[in-house]
Amino acid sequence: MQQNALAQRQQCDREDADLLKRIQRSDQRALATLYDRYAPVFYPFALRITGSHEVAEEVVHDVFVQVWEKGNSYATQNGSVYAWLAALSRMKALEKVRTSNQKKKGSDGEALQPRAPLENEEKQGGQETILVFKGYAEEVRNMLKNLSKLELRLLELSYYEGQSQSDLARMLRIPLGTIKAKMRRGIQKLRQAPAQEGKRP
Amino acid sequence: MKTEEQRHSQLELCIPYVFGRLNPGNRKQFEAHLETGCEQCKRELSELYEAIALLPLLLKQEAPPSGLRQRILSRLSSKRSEPPRAAKPIPQRGVVEASVTKAPPRSWYLYASIVMGVLLIISLLFFLNDQLRTTGELEKKLTDLQAQIQEKQDILGILQVQKVEILQLANMDAGSQAFGRVFWEPEKRHAVVQVVNLIAEPADKQYQLWLVKEKKYLRVGEFDVNKEKSNVFAVMTLPVGERQEIEGFAITLEPRGGSTQPSGAIQLRGATK
Repeated sequence: MQQNALAQRQQCDREDADLLKRIQRSDQRALATLYDRYAPVFYPFALRITGSHEVAEEVVHDVFVQVWEKGNSYATQNGSVYAWLAALSRMKALEKVRTSNQKKKGSDGEALQPRAPLENEEKQGGQETILVFKGYAEEVRNMLKNLSKLELRLLELSYYEGQSQSDLARMLRIPLGTIKAKMRRGIQKLRQAPAQEGKRP
Repeated sequence: MKTEEQRHSQLELCIPYVFGRLNPGNRKQFEAHLETGCEQCKRELSELYEAIALLPLLLKQEAPPSGLRQRILSRLSSKRSEPPRAAKPIPQRGVVEASVTKAPPRSWYLYASIVMGVLLIISLLFFLNDQLRTTGELEKKLTDLQAQIQEKQDILGILQVQKVEILQLANMDAGSQAFGRVFWEPEKRHAVVQVVNLIAEPADKQYQLWLVKEKKYLRVGEFDVNKEKSNVFAVMTLPVGERQEIEGFAITLEPRGGSTQPSGAIQLRGATK
């Protein structure tokens, strides 16, 4: 099962690299394929960060337009194409939240708020139809059960809400060193994922 | 050639970098380092980006509204003319007004029912909002308590191992009651720093622990001291662990987020020899 999941992920990574090369040569069908594959991942992801369907839609729009316009900016140090898209989506969604918060300071409007996951939606897997990385996503979910609640919470606060380690230390009233150690340990556990194992020399 | 400590210091920056939380100075410095072609840091970054990108896979996948795909593809086709993005359809005011004008006259109790209904919905929303806030506060308290338990377990974990090194830190100001200790496990390089009676730092500053090796100050980590606690413990990882490699430790007050070299006066210091 794990081998199949890993093979599935590696196959996706190879196809994505090929799609990106075609996008760099202005092949619109390649972008449409990449969109069909990943928009269902990054739309709820942007929704989780911004808490707004409309803004999440804007984020996905901006990400794929950027991939089209600046596909050459991808570098191997960004990880796989999927990891790069995830980083772009996160950055754009957090930018929208920051802009909204700044605007809110000058008006009575409501700022964007991260959307809390619905019960059984996150971590448990729920009953959803997984559209991409099906087997691999299940492997990842199983593996993440190794993370303690605190490790996962710290990673989520940093990842989805853009909290710095110092912010977390202040907010949770625990020493910065402990936060750093916990996050490092949490990330270390994430790195045990099958595709990560396969990438190590 | 980079020393092991320099590499450790650069690798330490990889995590805040991928989370986009390095301060501008450190980010610039780190990117300059990447441009030198450090393969170890590039590999580390690639693996970190890959690792944290697993988190979105925990969310329920959901296709965006069907019109979005077409909007993006249309934008690509007409990219060179750069048209403004298609606005989301908004209700046509004229149409609404027209339909209101054409509507037959309503009796007063119909309007009264609508107003009552709206008031009921508003009250319900207030009630729900209050409930959600209470749940959020309880969840935050729970996380807080879990964090404190975890911290204590970490500290105990280090203190319970068979071989623990201890170094006393003395204050450098005769009028101060502050002192400290560093406990560390040489093999795993895990450390606990304890400080007592250090004054709470200003909001833009943080205390930072340094390890002294070959007369050089190596960055270990930052911690906060607040007014509520006079006795503070922080768990950290040292760049080196063997006592003979360590000349001592020092604590300084630095800009929040830490410095690569000490810039503030030394508050506490201890030497192994």
